[in-house]
Amino acid sequence: MSSKWKDFRLYVITGVNYHPGRSLMTVMEQTLQGGADIIQLRAKDMTKREVLAQAYALRKLTRHYDVPLIINDHIDIALAVDADGVHLGQDDLPLAEARRILGADRIIGISTHSIEQALRAERDGADYIGVGPVFPTGTKPGRQAVTTSYVQEAAQRIRIPFVAIGGITTSNVNEVLAAGAARICAVSAIVGSDDPAHECRSFLQAIHASDQSKPGQVDLKQIRVNGRAEQTSARHVTELVQQLGLEGKRIVVELNGQILARDAWGEAEIENGATLEMVHFVGGG
Amino acid sequence: MDSYGDYDPLIIGGKRLSSRFFLGTGRFPSPAVMQMALDASAAEVITFAVRRVNLDFAQDDSILQHIGGRELTYLPNTSGANNADEAVRIARLARAAGLGDWIKVEISASTRTLLPDPLETLQATERLAAEGFVVLSYTSDDPVGCKRLEEAGAAAVMPGGSPIGSGLGILNPYNIGLIVEEAGVPIIVDAGIGSAVDAVQAMELGAAGILVNTPVAKAGDPVAMAHAMRLAVEAGRMAYRAGRIPKRRYASASSEEAGVSVPMKAQTMAANSTTAEGSR
Repeated sequence: MSSKWKDFRLYVITGVNYHPGRSLMTVMEQTLQGGADIIQLRAKDMTKREVLAQAYALRKLTRHYDVPLIINDHIDIALAVDADGVHLGQDDLPLAEARRILGADRIIGISTHSIEQALRAERDGADYIGVGPVFPTGTKPGRQAVTTSYVQEAAQRIRIPFVAIGGITTSNVNEVLAAGAARICAVSAIVGSDDPAHECRSFLQAIHASDQSKPGQVDLKQIRVNGRAEQTSARHVTELVQQLGLEGKRIVVELNGQILARDAWGEAEIENGATLEMVHFVGGG
Repeated sequence: MDSYGDYDPLIIGGKRLSSRFFLGTGRFPSPAVMQMALDASAAEVITFAVRRVNLDFAQDDSILQHIGGRELTYLPNTSGANNADEAVRIARLARAAGLGDWIKVEISASTRTLLPDPLETLQATERLAAEGFVVLSYTSDDPVGCKRLEEAGAAAVMPGGSPIGSGLGILNPYNIGLIVEEAGVPIIVDAGIGSAVDAVQAMELGAAGILVNTPVAKAGDPVAMAHAMRLAVEAGRMAYRAGRIPKRRYASASSEEAGVSVPMKAQTMAANSTTAEGSR
């Protein structure tokens, strides 16, 4: 697994009890269409066989969208369906054991509820951590909310990707982002909504808006991409494509009216005032 | 009859196709339905459009991620172009994606009818053919215009039956027939097909194939319609090759008249009258 997955911004966890009458696959495909860029299968009240069946189906779906699939708790199921990784709680198998079974290449995420737990997970080799529950949530009843002060602490002290989770909705997400979170996880707010795709887009809009309000780096160049004014620190097209989250996608780039072959991106310098077009294929007749 | 196409291949730009049904990928209710329809259609050529990447939602991804793993010929179109220059630019962008050098030239002059601009289409065809593209030109059902596109280097010419997405069918079958008669390259009826009946008609008129998008994507059951269209294309093609009977004004019985069996009563009466005559 390349490290591309680390660029995720919106982490969606399954929650079938939040969408009675709609199938898991339908709802999860909608979240993928809305831009969810990492998916976790969590199914606490199911038999192992049921979880396995859903894991297979989700594996197929997430492959279509080129999005990583994480399995909650069940390491064996993660291996059986060739998931990208697992997510473990504080009371699950210890990280070192899980790593031994899963190998270096699979993603291991750990739920943390304090900065001590977060630092330990980081030290023990977790690939990412969950930070929460930020707000009280029905998904984890009875657990004390950690509030945005823990998010702030994590933002300052944790170097691996961390994702804020727990009771986050489009109405309180800005608070979480302002506290320093760059990645958001939601369950009920998304899968329980009538329009999961729209809900995902709203979350992503908030996340991207927050990126822009954060202190900019020095030497930002003014450029136009697809007709829109943008600022970038990217030195060449490859960097810009990465910054825009388009790495690995089959896009075509035109810089100042010249179509660039993909292997020329690294040498194509971006100067102040550059105009770029980035296109791809969409449905059409 | 799945193997039928193997004996009657369609060759465009040196590529041998066993399916004569080209499928567009726009406006399907979901990517999953599109894929199922694609399977049901057995299409080997699929079309799509070139558009700007949505920078806010990088995951609003390219159509390509949904059709991986299939052996397909990609036919990007130049939709959105208003003149030859724009069409040439879109074609070059499409080719830079590295999925082949087929291009459907589509230059619309009016947003209401989406009817093609024949002059700009001719120019774009000429320029793109000279750049080595395999050019399939979408144009009006005008026999002279279609011939001109062929002379300009089009690998196939695609006259519309009626305006894009209208489902009005083939409004001028006489013209389509003429175009086919005079063509030295495959004629693909593109645009206007509404249902299987139109596909059969196009093929019986001698079209080498059809390109369909909206009637499948927006059908009540897109997957079933894709299958229906596929059968219609095959049926129409076979009928065309089989050779239909000429039309005539009056009936022509399908059995010999001699030897018609006659009911018993009529036979008895006939026998009596014979006896009567014989005793006379």
